[in-house]
Amino acid sequence: MKNTPGWQKIEQWLAAKELKPFAFQEEAWEHYLHGRSGLVNAPTGFGKTFSLFLAVLIRWVNEGSPPTSGLQMLWVTPLRALAKDIGRAMEEALHELRIPWKVGIRSGDTATSEREQQKRRMPEILIITPESIHILLAQKEYAKRFEGLHTVVIDEWHELLGSKRGVLVELGLCRLRSLRPQLQTWGISATIGNLDEALDVLMGTATASKAIVRAEVNKAIEVHCILPDEIEKYPWAGHLGIRLLHKVLPVIRNSRTTLLFTNTRGQSEIWYQQILKAYPDMAGVMALHHGSIDAELRIWVEEALHTGALKLVVCTSSLDLGVDFRPVDTVIQVGSPKGVARFLQRAGRSGHQPDAVSHIWFLPTHSLELVEAAALKDAMKANLIESRMPVVLAYDVLLQYLMTLAVSDGFNAEETWAEVRSTFCFQSLEPEEWQWILAFMTTGGEALNSYDEFRKLHLVGDRYYCTSRQLAMRHRLHIGTIVSDAMLKVRYMTGGFIGLIEEYFISRLSPGDSFSLSGNNLEFVMIKDMTVLVRKSKSKKSIVPSWNGGRMPLSANLGMMLRRKFHEAMNGIAQEEEITILRPLFDLQQLLSHIPQENELLMEHIETKDGYHLFVYPFEGRLVHEVMAALLAWRISRQHSISFSIAMNDYGFELLSDQPIPVDDTNAQELLSPENLAADLQSSVNATEMARRKFRDIAVIAGLIFQGYPGKHKANRHLQSSASLLFNVFHDYDPQNLLLRQAFNEAFFYQMEEARLRDTLERIAGQKIVITFPQRLTPFCFPIKVDSLREQLTSEKLEDRIKKMIVW
Amino acid sequence: MEDVTFDFRGHSWKLSAGRAIYWEQEQLLIVADLHVGKSAHFRKAGIAVPANIVQEDLYRLQQLITQYLPQRIIVVGDMFHSSANNDVQYFRIWRQQFPHIIFDLVTGNHDIMEAAVYTSLDIRQHDSLEVQDIYFIHDAEDKPATLNSYVLSGHIHPGVRLVGYGRQSLRLPCFYFGEAVAILPAFSGFTGTYALEREAAAEVFVIAEKKVLRV
Repeated sequence: MKNTPGWQKIEQWLAAKELKPFAFQEEAWEHYLHGRSGLVNAPTGFGKTFSLFLAVLIRWVNEGSPPTSGLQMLWVTPLRALAKDIGRAMEEALHELRIPWKVGIRSGDTATSEREQQKRRMPEILIITPESIHILLAQKEYAKRFEGLHTVVIDEWHELLGSKRGVLVELGLCRLRSLRPQLQTWGISATIGNLDEALDVLMGTATASKAIVRAEVNKAIEVHCILPDEIEKYPWAGHLGIRLLHKVLPVIRNSRTTLLFTNTRGQSEIWYQQILKAYPDMAGVMALHHGSIDAELRIWVEEALHTGALKLVVCTSSLDLGVDFRPVDTVIQVGSPKGVARFLQRAGRSGHQPDAVSHIWFLPTHSLELVEAAALKDAMKANLIESRMPVVLAYDVLLQYLMTLAVSDGFNAEETWAEVRSTFCFQSLEPEEWQWILAFMTTGGEALNSYDEFRKLHLVGDRYYCTSRQLAMRHRLHIGTIVSDAMLKVRYMTGGFIGLIEEYFISRLSPGDSFSLSGNNLEFVMIKDMTVLVRKSKSKKSIVPSWNGGRMPLSANLGMMLRRKFHEAMNGIAQEEEITILRPLFDLQQLLSHIPQENELLMEHIETKDGYHLFVYPFEGRLVHEVMAALLAWRISRQHSISFSIAMNDYGFELLSDQPIPVDDTNAQELLSPENLAADLQSSVNATEMARRKFRDIAVIAGLIFQGYPGKHKANRHLQSSASLLFNVFHDYDPQNLLLRQAFNEAFFYQMEEARLRDTLERIAGQKIVITFPQRLTPFCFPIKVDSLREQLTSEKLEDRIKKMIVW
Repeated sequence: MEDVTFDFRGHSWKLSAGRAIYWEQEQLLIVADLHVGKSAHFRKAGIAVPANIVQEDLYRLQQLITQYLPQRIIVVGDMFHSSANNDVQYFRIWRQQFPHIIFDLVTGNHDIMEAAVYTSLDIRQHDSLEVQDIYFIHDAEDKPATLNSYVLSGHIHPGVRLVGYGRQSLRLPCFYFGEAVAILPAFSGFTGTYALEREAAAEVFVIAEKKVLRV
């Protein structure tokens, strides 16, 4: 292959720039030129784009540079913001190589005029989001556009894999493979625990020959920890870490450009405000970047990062992905990143040059989080990278996809069944489920009767079509699987767009209240036409919006490492600075209560004005604790009539009740026994509430919730309903509904890690349970107690509970 | 269905867990926000909510009728959800079982069908109604500024949040009797609840499954 004209041409072009292809790039080119599909595993900043883009060019030159007719390659990217930079790099290469191909971008941001142009003539390379693939499939005669297509590349596949956007990719690919049987599919992925499975998901049951190419590049990462001066004065609970602000500034000053990552948008707003307040000279060289900020402003921030004009950007996961910002040489992570992979990815945002060292600083937001810093370091050393579990049987996405086909050229049930079953996601779809789905779209799930006016799809010949223009238009506007809360635009009274904010947050404000968005202090004036009107606020105090999504669970890998570190720390074995500094805290814990040894489980009974608390510390991570708490609560409530509210964090959990909790050394072992686990779990976990939360996204994706047209919110108000109401209605009147089942499945799959729980309970069965009665809150229990998000469990009659309550 | 007797302002009313008030002295059943036709309206728009909600709702109304044997039913607005559809036809047939019962509708914002349709369903339409010293209107906000009568209304689908010691909390639909205005719970199963702010002197009764409880 190396002496083919195309290969030579590329090699010479690189040589002229004093570059040489990396070994993994050549390996990928070889596989591609042999007609294989596969997966390239390489981090950002190492020429992963060229490992596949150039391969396609080599092939074209080798074929004698034939005139092309439209689309040759689809380049799928999860982030619209990435498209532009990738396109720019490709265009530059094409220009220098004098290859007359065009590069187009297709995403939600693409202008209508450009879309029209693409309709007449597709560019040779189209950079596209998963959603936009489906928008193309929703257009009449879409097959024509793909007549010359031979290659699809899915960039950042690890980001899409574990989500329903990944399912969109799988479904899009199954349609394209049917249109173009010779299609070559390649994924590009960062390192994850299940690369082989990632390739399987991409390929589905397609029998094409496939390969995994690994870039053997070892990135040097140095982890530093920002330590409080006096641990006794550092807060026991919290999620902000602002107290360490004065220690952050020297780090920023000594770096060229710093990215400061927080876990939620709310935290980023507060950090931005606080830095500005403490160091006014940072104004002008710092910026804020998160998902609710105006897209134009975000693009400006990204450009300024490229040119090195900014010293500091406070950001959230919105900057996790993306092209290299070369000036960035330092990253600060505020609070736990909750997973090794995410921490590595963020660290990788600094020091992008192949041999540069990435520097990341960990800033604990409360004392015990220091243990997590030590755990992260060890997990990185052991290379414990998390897997991304692919989504299976996402009926909601399938319903959306079938509607997409129905609004364009219709679909034949048998053909589509075969295609859909060829995907990883739907390989175990049952014929009865398929029948249910077809019925749901044709008769609305009911036996046909003369009264029913349900209409969505009609059978014309042997194909299903959607014949209603109105439904078709509505569907095209709703394609996608990213469901956000209802967002309102925020504008100044005098004009000028500031950003987006959740309706839920605004609904709790009264005119005159101040809040903070995009780093501005704003005074709420009124809501008009779905827009929040504000003016600049002079108030010193402002409320920071609490966006959802801040409560990620700890990954299993990090959880295991954390438990090990805690035991080392508690037994005084650990030598790390982060842990030795915690000594006074552990001493206080021992004084007030107890420090559990390796073979012990600690429980604390504490009474406060809130009621009677029982704290239990298995150190198993939030997910296991959530289920374990419900299990314990249920087992207690079977013997006594009692109601609990439940809270948990990654270290332990709490049961809180209005009466003393009857757990002592006579029954503790029995209450936590692994016996009858499966049956007890079914009854104990409030599966209905968990499923209700999952149902929101499902209802929107499946097209059950009508969100209105952009700018035309008032119309169709008789079709408004909330997901929670729909959930109730299905639950009460149509319990067999498949979407309802999906909600329960998702709740169980994501939240109930039965195997992990069983391991934990078996471990506890061999442990000594130590029960203490501290006179006041202990360092261990404090972070759990202040957590306000709570679950409930009760064995009292509804009537009895109400009698004890007051109207809020 | 269980009920509680509530003596209020010289009247004796039965508050039913079936989400209705029965006024024995007047042989009058009062309900609000039936939203007949809501599921059909959704289904017509391609949203496959269960079709049998209207049957269940009207079955419950039928149970109340056989329990209390009213001569007259006042619907305090939003009897129908939207424009005429086949759920409305289902109601027409259901209605024929009770030709002797007067249906008085106090028009709500959802009641947008042509007047002739209501006539053909044997429903009398009113902007507001008065019985003794009680004034019926859909949305209490629209009541006349100078009014001596006490108001019974619907519209907002009231619910309350209850909290207790040990951070317990619940949200339930309710009957709400304020100083000048009462609000009925929404009748239809295809409605949510809106959390009310309680006036200090208000009487609130929650619907807890099959029971009505004063809180």
